Amino acid sequence: MNRSVRRSRWSLLAVFAITVAACGGAASPAPSTGGGAASPSASAATSPSTEASASASPEGSTVTGASCQSGATEVKFWTSHTPPDSDALKNIVDAFNQANPDICVKMTIVPGSETDIAKLLTSIRGGVAPDVYMADRFTVPQRAAEGVLDDITNETQGLNSQYLDFAWAETQFQGKTYALPFDTDARALWYNKDLITKAGADPSVLDMSKGPATIDQVVAIADKVSKKDSSGNYDVLGWIPGGPGPGGQPGAFDQGWHYTWGFTFGGNFADLQQCKVTPTDPGVVAGFQFLYDWAKDHDPKAVSRWVASNLPTPQTPASQNPLWTGKLAMTISGDWRIAEQKKYAPNGDYDFTFIPVPKAGDQSATWAGGWSMALIPNSKARDQAIKFMKYIAGPDGQRVYTKESTHLPTIKDLLTDSSLFDPQHAKFLDLLKVAKNRPPLSVGAAYWDALTSAQGSVEANSKQPMDALQEVQDSVQSQLDAAGC
Amino acid sequence: MASTEIARTSAGSSAVAAAQPNRRTGRAILSGSVLPRIVLIAGCALFALPFYFMFVSAVKTTAEATQTPPTFFPQTFAWDNFQAAVNYIPFGLYAINSVVITVGATLGAVLSNTAIAYGFSRIHWPGRNFLFYVCLATVFLPYPVVLVALFDIFGKLPSFGIQGAQSWVDTFLPLIVPAFFGNPFYVFLMRQFMLGIPRDLSDAAKVDGASEIQTFWRVILPLTRPAVVVVAILAAVAAWNEFLLPLLYLQSQDKYPLAVGLAFYTSQHDVAYNLLMAASTLIVLPIVIVFLFAQRFFIEGITVGGVKG
Amino acid sequence: MTAAASAATTTTRRFGLGPMERHNLRWGLLFISPWLFGFVALSIFPIVYTFYLSLTRYSGIRAPVLVGLANYQRIASDPLFLKSAYNTLYYTALAVPVGVVMAMILAIAMNQKVREVAIYRAILYLPSILPVFAISLIFIYLLNPAYGMVNGLLGMVGLPSPNWLGDPAFSRIALVMIAQLGAGQWALVFLAGLRGIPIELYESADIDGAGPWTKFRHITLPLMTPVILYDIIIGLSLGLQVFTSAFILTGGGGGRGGGAGPDNSLLTYVYYLYKQAFQFGQMGYAAALSVVMFVVSLILAGAVFRWARGWVFYEAEEA
Repeated sequence: MNRSVRRSRWSLLAVFAITVAACGGAASPAPSTGGGAASPSASAATSPSTEASASASPEGSTVTGASCQSGATEVKFWTSHTPPDSDALKNIVDAFNQANPDICVKMTIVPGSETDIAKLLTSIRGGVAPDVYMADRFTVPQRAAEGVLDDITNETQGLNSQYLDFAWAETQFQGKTYALPFDTDARALWYNKDLITKAGADPSVLDMSKGPATIDQVVAIADKVSKKDSSGNYDVLGWIPGGPGPGGQPGAFDQGWHYTWGFTFGGNFADLQQCKVTPTDPGVVAGFQFLYDWAKDHDPKAVSRWVASNLPTPQTPASQNPLWTGKLAMTISGDWRIAEQKKYAPNGDYDFTFIPVPKAGDQSATWAGGWSMALIPNSKARDQAIKFMKYIAGPDGQRVYTKESTHLPTIKDLLTDSSLFDPQHAKFLDLLKVAKNRPPLSVGAAYWDALTSAQGSVEANSKQPMDALQEVQDSVQSQLDAAGC
Repeated sequence: MASTEIARTSAGSSAVAAAQPNRRTGRAILSGSVLPRIVLIAGCALFALPFYFMFVSAVKTTAEATQTPPTFFPQTFAWDNFQAAVNYIPFGLYAINSVVITVGATLGAVLSNTAIAYGFSRIHWPGRNFLFYVCLATVFLPYPVVLVALFDIFGKLPSFGIQGAQSWVDTFLPLIVPAFFGNPFYVFLMRQFMLGIPRDLSDAAKVDGASEIQTFWRVILPLTRPAVVVVAILAAVAAWNEFLLPLLYLQSQDKYPLAVGLAFYTSQHDVAYNLLMAASTLIVLPIVIVFLFAQRFFIEGITVGGVKG
Repeated sequence: MTAAASAATTTTRRFGLGPMERHNLRWGLLFISPWLFGFVALSIFPIVYTFYLSLTRYSGIRAPVLVGLANYQRIASDPLFLKSAYNTLYYTALAVPVGVVMAMILAIAMNQKVREVAIYRAILYLPSILPVFAISLIFIYLLNPAYGMVNGLLGMVGLPSPNWLGDPAFSRIALVMIAQLGAGQWALVFLAGLRGIPIELYESADIDGAGPWTKFRHITLPLMTPVILYDIIIGLSLGLQVFTSAFILTGGGGGRGGGAGPDNSLLTYVYYLYKQAFQFGQMGYAAALSVVMFVVSLILAGAVFRWARGWVFYEAEEA
């Protein structure tokens, strides 16, 4: 007895030794994270921050840098892009490393999305942040205001003239430069000629050469295509101008966002001089009113049901997109669908045209987004990182990216380089010339979010446009006042 | 209170007795087991649905897995999906990471929670109940913002070069070490179980001259084994499935556990649905097996209160 | 540990405890010392830190700027605060009682003379070990209005097939349904409780000629009240913090959407808090939301305990 008692005492001491050693300064565990003890929702503590919008196949995520020489200065580069876009990025990184043996850029694909930067934020706090971060350009002013991005004004003097004005403007905050513009895009009305013809309508009125069609014309064609089944649910839809988004969630089914329709009806979303968001601008309200009326005419519940059935998640495989499976005749989308159509609906007869206009003779509107290359504060390889940013966001990088990813470049000279675009892709260049852009605001993400849920409520006909937009105004303006322009 | 009296008379064997099935229902009439069976089979059908869906999706071809409407039963079995899923991510490496984290966190949970529960149940001291309620109250801390404070702590702790990191960030330490400080859920379960062990046993040990540590280690701990198994399994499942914490704390991809690796099957516009489900099947397999072996302890080891307490 | 021990000694002197109590206090504190340490580092520090942050404007990177009670004033006029609080309470108020009833029914069924009970036990428990990530993704498919198995089953018994996630009237119910997959685990907890009820009680009730309902009402239910209370408390803490499933069901709140369910019906409180902290760079505001949530949670938990005094059979603590 005595002996075993002694042994047990030693074991217990060992236990405490471990706990005390660990006490060195750590913290306890799951009390805060909810434990995961008693029910599966307990593992809700394991809240995935990002997986739904997450990342990539590991081939894409493998670190590049095999071609690096020993002793080269390491530059860490993070992107949330996934194949095929990330393959193009990787090729650019490899080319840069080849040409600059003293620098070694290591690219990593991190789970994340345009607006969710939990991972970046914590990495900066933990002192393990990347040097260069690929940021959605319309969030740059917001991230700059938050201190997530570093000021690169001095190092980028004189570069502004080579970029499209709107793209450059999006990298600015309070007169300073926080990123270099990378790619851009444009939106158009895609349509399936076969479906329209089969329904007894004439798709030729939509041809780009005839200029933009009116919204009424497009709705009339769409209504001929739409078919309901015996229980009153849509089987085929002619068109969804706005949302709901995948799964019936608030947002755009494809690219028929609040911004798309606000711009189409001549709306302004912000007054940058006054540092005001203007969601109740008459044009924006008119755009939302159109979405409200369209939904009312087409039974919002039935439309939502059709979307939730046919596009259940944002990650629904592209091959199952109703546009390619013949369940949807028209949608507002972008240049990236060119490559997709070739792959998933090679035999279909598709084309795209201007986004339709409220009245005949109106100028069609579209808008452009895109990404940028930004520097994270306290980089240990600042000079090398900026050199890489200038390369990848410069003519060398953008040329490769435009060609391999079929996005559009933001460098003016490349827009006239016909070797980079096939004829279809080139049409988007024309759209880009008249494209608007989202106002660069220090509350860009919150504004987008608020507009999205307003759009959802208006399209569900549960709120009047003006009421929903007034709420956006109230919640976002106070944030803007605090953050500044 | 009456229950306590009764419990006390039979408590000596209660932990063991609980494992024996259905003694009191021995005289239930035959018809009595028809309704329960219907309830259970219906319940199981519903509860097995997600599992069935996961497995079936895992063995469908890519075309079939993404087809609308989905098929209820696979037309062809693509068993090589499992092979493909394993090759899609560094599965072996991530599995090792998961095992290391899970073993560490489980060990921590078992060691710390047994000791803490002993202090909260087998020793009478002033303020004990107050502190116990404080302990329970911490389950109401909203974790996302607590996370920020914790991240700051871990970012400043020196790692002494463990896993090549400068601080605890990008090491397994923030995922393992906190388990050594107890968890209110587990403390509660263990405490309730220990309360059910008759006081006479401790008293007898003390009369024999055993110290508090000896009583804990030699008398109480062996009797607590079923609860230890329960806590070990709960802690292991939680650590094995944990997603957010490793995602935030681990910055190098070669340190990811499997639960984070799952995210790699989804991309912004696409999802390798069948491979994701194949990987999910493989990932839950170990815990399913562990559970099947240990499930009888679940009945013995869980004591929430009342009778045995 | 020495600190804890010496603190213990001073306390004992102050309260004039006898040698036995002193001994007990010392050992009690020693045994709970891992938790005590963790409590200070992991709970007290974050609470204080979060409270401090709630008085600042803070993006998470730049130094916090003190703004007084501005964040709390903003909460008072924030419609999404009310909306998310309402959603969370609605969810909790539905999920907790439904969970208790489900667990009780399954446990009672398992406690009958059913020979193959081990099989049911295992199957019912299985969903509890699936990662929430996988479960939620699977549910998006199961809940598909036109092609999902759930509506397929409802259709077979002649019930209407809702647009689960796209209709604000059903989206929160879908969330509650997903949470019920954890009922298997709770059923085991309940089953353990049922097995702990002394047979003698039922035997004497049989002698008195009591029927099954009377036995349930007067023996089973009262003796199960501590288990039910435990379920309610844990369910409350998990319900108030529900996030992951809502986050995944709505597509992750990432760039594609931004909305959290139709009419924000799936915007739970922690979801909203997460958005403010990690998407909008409003860490100070998120901290204020956390403080409010913590206080309200404790009040709710206290209310539940108080209410429970009326119906829970408390055990006299032994040992």
